[in-house]
Amino acid sequence: MKNNLEKVRNIGISAHIDSGKTTLTERILFYTQRIHAIHEVRGKDGVGATMDSMELEKERGITIQSAATYCSWKDYNINIIDTPGHVDFTIEVERALRVLDGAVLILCSVGGVQSQSITVNRQMTRYKVPRIAFINKCDRTGANPYRVTRQLRDKLDLNAVMIQIPIGLEGDLQGMVDLVAMKAVYFDGAQGEQIRTEDIPVDLRDEAESKREELLDAVSMFSDELMEAMLEEADIPETLLHDAIRRATLSLELTPVMLGSAYKNKGIQLLLDAVASYLPCPTDIENTALDLNKDESEVMVSHNPDDPLVALAFKLEDGRYGQLTYIRTYQGTVHKGDTIINSRTGKKTKVGRLVRMHANEMEEIEGTGSGDIVALFGIDCASGDTFCSNDLNWSMSSMHVPAPVISLAIKPVDNKAQINMSKALNRFTKEDPTFRTYVDHETSETIISGMGELHLEVYVERMKREYKALVEVGAPQVAYRETITQRAEFNYIHKKQTGGSGQFGRVSGFLEPLDDGEYEFVDQIVGGVIPREFISSCDKGFQKALEKGTLTGAPITGIRVTINDGSYHAVDSSDVAFQQAAIGAFRQGYPKAVPVIMEPIMKVAVEGPSEFQGAVMGSLNQRRGVIIGTLEESNYTVVEAEMPLAEMFGYSTTLRSLTQGKAEFTMEFSTYKQVPKSVAEELIKNFASQKKEA
Amino acid sequence: MGYEPLVQQNPLRVLDTGGENNQMGLVMARPGLGKTALLVQIALDNIFRGKRVIHVSIGESIDKTKSWYDGILQSIIQDYSLSNPQELIDMVTRNRMIMTFKIAAFSRSRLEERLNDLVLQDIFRPNCLIVDGFDFVNADREALEDIRNLMETMNMQAWFSANCRREDTRVSPAGVPAPCHEIDDLFDMIILLKPEQDATIQLDIIRNYGEQVENGKGLRLDPTTMMVKKI
Repeated sequence: MKNNLEKVRNIGISAHIDSGKTTLTERILFYTQRIHAIHEVRGKDGVGATMDSMELEKERGITIQSAATYCSWKDYNINIIDTPGHVDFTIEVERALRVLDGAVLILCSVGGVQSQSITVNRQMTRYKVPRIAFINKCDRTGANPYRVTRQLRDKLDLNAVMIQIPIGLEGDLQGMVDLVAMKAVYFDGAQGEQIRTEDIPVDLRDEAESKREELLDAVSMFSDELMEAMLEEADIPETLLHDAIRRATLSLELTPVMLGSAYKNKGIQLLLDAVASYLPCPTDIENTALDLNKDESEVMVSHNPDDPLVALAFKLEDGRYGQLTYIRTYQGTVHKGDTIINSRTGKKTKVGRLVRMHANEMEEIEGTGSGDIVALFGIDCASGDTFCSNDLNWSMSSMHVPAPVISLAIKPVDNKAQINMSKALNRFTKEDPTFRTYVDHETSETIISGMGELHLEVYVERMKREYKALVEVGAPQVAYRETITQRAEFNYIHKKQTGGSGQFGRVSGFLEPLDDGEYEFVDQIVGGVIPREFISSCDKGFQKALEKGTLTGAPITGIRVTINDGSYHAVDSSDVAFQQAAIGAFRQGYPKAVPVIMEPIMKVAVEGPSEFQGAVMGSLNQRRGVIIGTLEESNYTVVEAEMPLAEMFGYSTTLRSLTQGKAEFTMEFSTYKQVPKSVAEELIKNFASQKKEA
Repeated sequence: MGYEPLVQQNPLRVLDTGGENNQMGLVMARPGLGKTALLVQIALDNIFRGKRVIHVSIGESIDKTKSWYDGILQSIIQDYSLSNPQELIDMVTRNRMIMTFKIAAFSRSRLEERLNDLVLQDIFRPNCLIVDGFDFVNADREALEDIRNLMETMNMQAWFSANCRREDTRVSPAGVPAPCHEIDDLFDMIILLKPEQDATIQLDIIRNYGEQVENGKGLRLDPTTMMVKKI
């Protein structure tokens, strides 16, 4: 078993849609000899690129789910986690960022830094992921890697420094000058597999010298030896410079910029070298887990293979052979036949087959090292679960999952679709905790909810394709919530006498706002005025009442219910009676507690040419947005705003027509806020008339 | 609005910032002493008094500027142990707009264009402009007079920050160091931040609403929280 952690790289490849991520991955797999022919993403051979294993991705040319794949370059073992590009899949992106140690940020040499890159970059900064930038598509007309490097500095706030310069550009791209080795590199052969190094062409020497100076300046502070060598004006050994770049990259103070063209097979091998030289190995990164036995306090994982196992299941896939679970180990090892414990459920499982994945093909293995990424067969778990061995009870990710902000009603077209739909929903909810589903009892519709319009759209598509479940889709609905703003008392008697045994229960206490958390039940009953066995009935009753608020029918959150008095009847009191009493008590107290409606607020960033800034701000302002700020560079502007989700439906169309299609926007869930009065009145009115109709 | 104590007890009250519009203020210090912290407190004081503020940050990101506000606002919330901090935070968000410019992208004409955009569309009508990172070294008198006129036509107050350097010893008769020593007459308020022996930072108020002041006014910045305190 290869388990030299220094030679392991867990990397992500992240990019704006259409900047060539999949093509690049494909080339990497080709050069590392994992595949023997190159298929284009939108190739004519109909095979499609190897990484996009899902039908839908092949068709749309985008990658939705993160498949992990393994390859080896020179003596390094590289696990590539293909991260989804769209922010709507936030939890997938975040989970992918969690398991990788470093990343390659791909940019299009023509399009430059686009809004998606900004969001992905922000997430990477949040998770402290060291990265290398790769400017792709340098063969395209209009390619300008220098401009893109400037944008990396300006728009992404990265200390981006070129470690290569191109030899020729656009159609004339021949190769690149490696500023570390100070050599020109060319790629020969039908698929660029033969690398030819030569002296730097005469006309590029001056530029290469000056760019190398910039590089040395940027990294010298990370290596005293390098600084010394520079002061002495001695020749700088290549290894010294590599070492300084590595240190600077790991500290997140520097982003080395490389360039090439995946499509034209130029520069990929050098990128792989850079991944090996500059990106971190698992032990370079500090990873923390939460100790569930100690109130989720943070603990460092050791990366030591001899310690007890800690592994994160970050991805599930339903394959031909059953459920495949991708895990990343942080410390300890997993071998065939080991017993591991799921720290969420406490369930013990025996490890059956272990495989290393390469998109759709797999390779059977006996065990893993620590810091490795592998897939397990036949493990029942949800994604995001942590596996430990015997004595540990750690979790890699917090149990907190953001609540969905948008929902859709779906209706199967026929009986067959009905069966397939429930299969699909069952699967998706396991894979993705932000995707939820339930049946609305009043309308008997199936409701799916998630983090954004696209998020739900993709699942509806997947239902159709993978499960052949055709569904009709309703209009998207914002997931409102209700909460209270004041303390209010209740004292309610539930009494029913309709022949046979009656029902009796009295519940008294108060409601109050709860700042952090959704619901809390406090039992202050003394002297058995409500018998112990009926306390949980009260709790149950309150929870039932919380399911639908009276203002708009939205669920009620952020509330603490305390009961401190009550009474019972020896014969007529029952579980049902006290549940009913609690529901009644809640309905009595709720209106007095000044309930309000809360709506999801999204963090929106609109990016486009400066000339449209006024129009963009106007459009955001009209939609009840609060503009947080603007960022202006020579000819483009980013406007950041907090927007109610309800106002964002159809915004992409508005924005397109306002800016002649030159601006784009991204959106991320931020928080829940109280709906302004006028809007709240409207919502309440609509709910009331809906109720009347039903 | 219930924030009177915040306004009344603010040590900044010794400055006559509450008065007229159309004033121009200047905060000067060597890098790293707390110019931005002071500007943010001046901005917040304006917001608490019911004004709207545009914070122009040249060469800084939106997130970074916003985090200055978040930090100082947290200190205020703790100091006054406010019961409903979210309300205050929301109020600040609504009444503040951050405008960041890359250094090369900033010009007076562009600023004017942006301000007009906001006002004409009725998106945001500012009363106070904070300008952090203005390049005084390469700006001439004319440029600043221009801005002063703009402030007057838009009926706004403006506060600038300027970096001075130890090695540049030029000083105006009023005691204003380079690079502002030749244009100090354009400002109605001038505050110099000076580090003291005991690691606190003194607010040397050179000019207060047009009046020349001797020996400052007895304010300092708490070096840990960067909050203005009375001595």
